[in-house]
Amino acid sequence: MQRRVAVIVPAFNEEQTIGSVIRGVKGLGAEYEVIVVNDCSGDNTTRNAEAEGATVIELPVNLGIGGAVQTGVKYALAAGFDACVQVDGDGQHPPSEIPKLVEPLFGGGVDMVVGSRFLGGTYKVPFMRAFGIRIISLFLRASTGVRFKDTTSGFRAFSRPVMAFFARSYPQDYPEPESLLMAHLKRFKVVEVAVDMNYREHGISSITPFRAAYYMTKVLLAMLIDLFKEF
Amino acid sequence: MLHIRLFIGLISVVFFVVTFEFIRKRHLREEYAILWLFTSSIIAALSLWPGFVNILSEITGLYYITAVLIIVFAFVIAVLMHYSITISKIKEMNKELTQKCAMLELRLRELERTQGR
Repeated sequence: MQRRVAVIVPAFNEEQTIGSVIRGVKGLGAEYEVIVVNDCSGDNTTRNAEAEGATVIELPVNLGIGGAVQTGVKYALAAGFDACVQVDGDGQHPPSEIPKLVEPLFGGGVDMVVGSRFLGGTYKVPFMRAFGIRIISLFLRASTGVRFKDTTSGFRAFSRPVMAFFARSYPQDYPEPESLLMAHLKRFKVVEVAVDMNYREHGISSITPFRAAYYMTKVLLAMLIDLFKEF
Repeated sequence: MLHIRLFIGLISVVFFVVTFEFIRKRHLREEYAILWLFTSSIIAALSLWPGFVNILSEITGLYYITAVLIIVFAFVIAVLMHYSITISKIKEMNKELTQKCAMLELRLRELERTQGR
């Protein structure tokens, strides 16, 4: 039987780009099904996504990126998908790179795959952002000994055991670095693979320089606390 | 003065341990957890640096009554802590409900479509 992979697209006001993301995924073949989680957008995200044939889950209130991704994971788990991939709705993550994330999950032994901009490739991130990513990377290495370069990458793939874990507990506000740590603490095998990413086509990053310091403090504290939590 | 400093210091330690335990047991969401860790470190600072309390006493003329105030303060903090935990729990329940509601709505739409409505 053919395996089924859910492509979870958390979307908040992405009417401009959602269509091309879905078309890109459809071009990969029938094993991939798109599940858009519309996080209470005020625009035509749902209409444009449904026009391209995606399944759309509409959250009645805005939960933030963490709650949206978790909704997709819960749905994919209940619907019996063999794995899922998280892809941004803003066009930053090229659908053509998805198979690179999914293949290691079925190759044996790997539970979670993170798409990294920094393993080869020429992707340039703004200085402050690169600095923050590096600090988080150092924290992960110091606290657990694992090495990850692209700690804030939201282009990831999960196996079913990881889906089951994240369906139960998933961080809310800036979930990428924290979920990476949580998966590691749960003794899942997490690997990074090199992928290409686009510069975002529309909209601006949710992390402005003004909020960078607050973001860093919060993420690091949350991760520090995670080291002692019961999962 | 030493007694009160020890007392305040003890409050801050108890406070810190209790907060930490709540975080560990996942009763507190991180945004509140950080607030409470910050609060407990302020209380600890008060006991380590009594000069600050003296300045306050000079300004307000309160000496004896500070002991009473501290007891009331500790009580109010306990109540606020209780609220933090309750809000954390309610936010979590609200999230679960939102997700469930959205998934049920999707199933309903799909059902309506297959029924040709």
